[in-house]
Amino acid sequence: MAETTVRKSSPLLIALAWIIVLVPTGWGLTYTVQNALKIFNVGAAPAAPAAPAQK
Amino acid sequence: MLGFLDRDHSVAPEGYSRWLVPPAALAIHLAIGQVYSFSVFKTPLIQYFTPFVNPANINKDIGYIFSVAIAVLGLSAALFGAWLEKAGPRRAMFYAAVCFGLGFIIASFGVRSHQLWLVYLGYGVVGGIGLGLGYISPVSTLIKWFPDRPGLSTGLAIMGFGGGAMIGSPLGNQLMAHFKAHGQPPIASAFLCMGILYFIFMMFGVFTIRVPREGWKPEGWTPSKKVNALITTHNVNVNQAMLTPQFYLLWIVLFCNVTAGIGILEDASPMIQDFFKGHVLAVAAGGFVGLLSIFNMAGRFFWASLSDFLGRKTTYFIFFVVGAVLFFVLPLTRGDHLNSVPLFVAIAAVIISMYGGGFATIPAYLKDLFGGYNVSAIHGRLLTAWSTAGIVGPLVVNGILDHYVANHMAKQDAYPTILHIMTGLLVVGFVANLLVRPVAEKHWMAEQNLKPVGSGH
Repeated sequence: MAETTVRKSSPLLIALAWIIVLVPTGWGLTYTVQNALKIFNVGAAPAAPAAPAQK
Repeated sequence: MLGFLDRDHSVAPEGYSRWLVPPAALAIHLAIGQVYSFSVFKTPLIQYFTPFVNPANINKDIGYIFSVAIAVLGLSAALFGAWLEKAGPRRAMFYAAVCFGLGFIIASFGVRSHQLWLVYLGYGVVGGIGLGLGYISPVSTLIKWFPDRPGLSTGLAIMGFGGGAMIGSPLGNQLMAHFKAHGQPPIASAFLCMGILYFIFMMFGVFTIRVPREGWKPEGWTPSKKVNALITTHNVNVNQAMLTPQFYLLWIVLFCNVTAGIGILEDASPMIQDFFKGHVLAVAAGGFVGLLSIFNMAGRFFWASLSDFLGRKTTYFIFFVVGAVLFFVLPLTRGDHLNSVPLFVAIAAVIISMYGGGFATIPAYLKDLFGGYNVSAIHGRLLTAWSTAGIVGPLVVNGILDHYVANHMAKQDAYPTILHIMTGLLVVGFVANLLVRPVAEKHWMAEQNLKPVGSGH
């Protein structure tokens, strides 16, 4: 009697498919997070030459 | 030659994992989401085209490229949705890849030859068709593969659209810098390169996408016996759906949610600088915009997945109630009131997460109300709400800002007015969502008119 075997998708193939989309996403996310961290520079005004003390 | 694009050729063999389908959908959405990062080309294009067009209108003229692309996105999604249901997701994704890639290439020639109209035609019209087709193409397929988690599956794909801007922005900047350093025309070469790269990336989605075979269901899953009046077991044809009040109520829901989000997104950077004058500088404001894009993307996945447990109506109930309160109190955080930057940033981040969540949850809401049979086509027509919001939102925001500036009033005083108008819009959305009821039986399709899932409707 002939047996039919179901070929399941390889977990490696599934992982590879996810890597293909996650690698560029991770790259973009890293760039955006680095940019987003600048919000924590709030109040850090550019260094200005020291002004003479007021009397 | 293009027979492999037919729906029959894309039916999944037995044992095909459904977890291969979200990456296919993500490949499309991550690519087309580039449109949200088009601003990286704005200043270079303005500088480049200034000698060739009327300099007085240059800002507007370059701005139209993005506007045309978004308008064509909505139109093509509405026009081609019904065709997509017949042709299948693979063919639609293929045409999306061709149009999106070709759009860049035409725009590249437009830039090289100093013909702005070619950029409109390429990136705006041809690319815009690719955007519309690509946006809706994986939706119904994902819903069929994930009948147990429709919100999660469509949330994943639509999250990709948010993520696409994060890839498109550094990619565009770095390509322009690279070509400039090598003595090549930076914008034209970057466009050409991006057209080819995005086409290849989208083709990965075309080859990977599969529709489930007839009668397929997730292993061990049985449809819930629990009766929920707002989750139908019937199907409604796209043309019939247009005759139901539910379609127009959801149109209002999406329109209000998107317009309100645009109220912040449109002027995020100047708003935070004006609210905290001298305290938040341009660099930090840029970081704030980046933070919003992360929450926009994350909200798409988070809220759409959560809606599988809360229900779609409850999810939008949260958006409109919490959103209205947050929009109302946001002006209180500014420098001359509470003076709290962290509070302002936190509130804006939650608001933007719900803006993204609204986009990602709507396909599952449509599936609940109208069934999965024509959901891509119905979704396509509903996206006209997005196009409309894309026009109305900036009009309201910029109109009020211009009015304040023209009348020599403080610009930062315009923002509370804008945010309170958006609060009102969210109340309208709240009422529309509250009025959503199950679709009447007279709109249901007869069972004999339904071709089996996966074999081509």
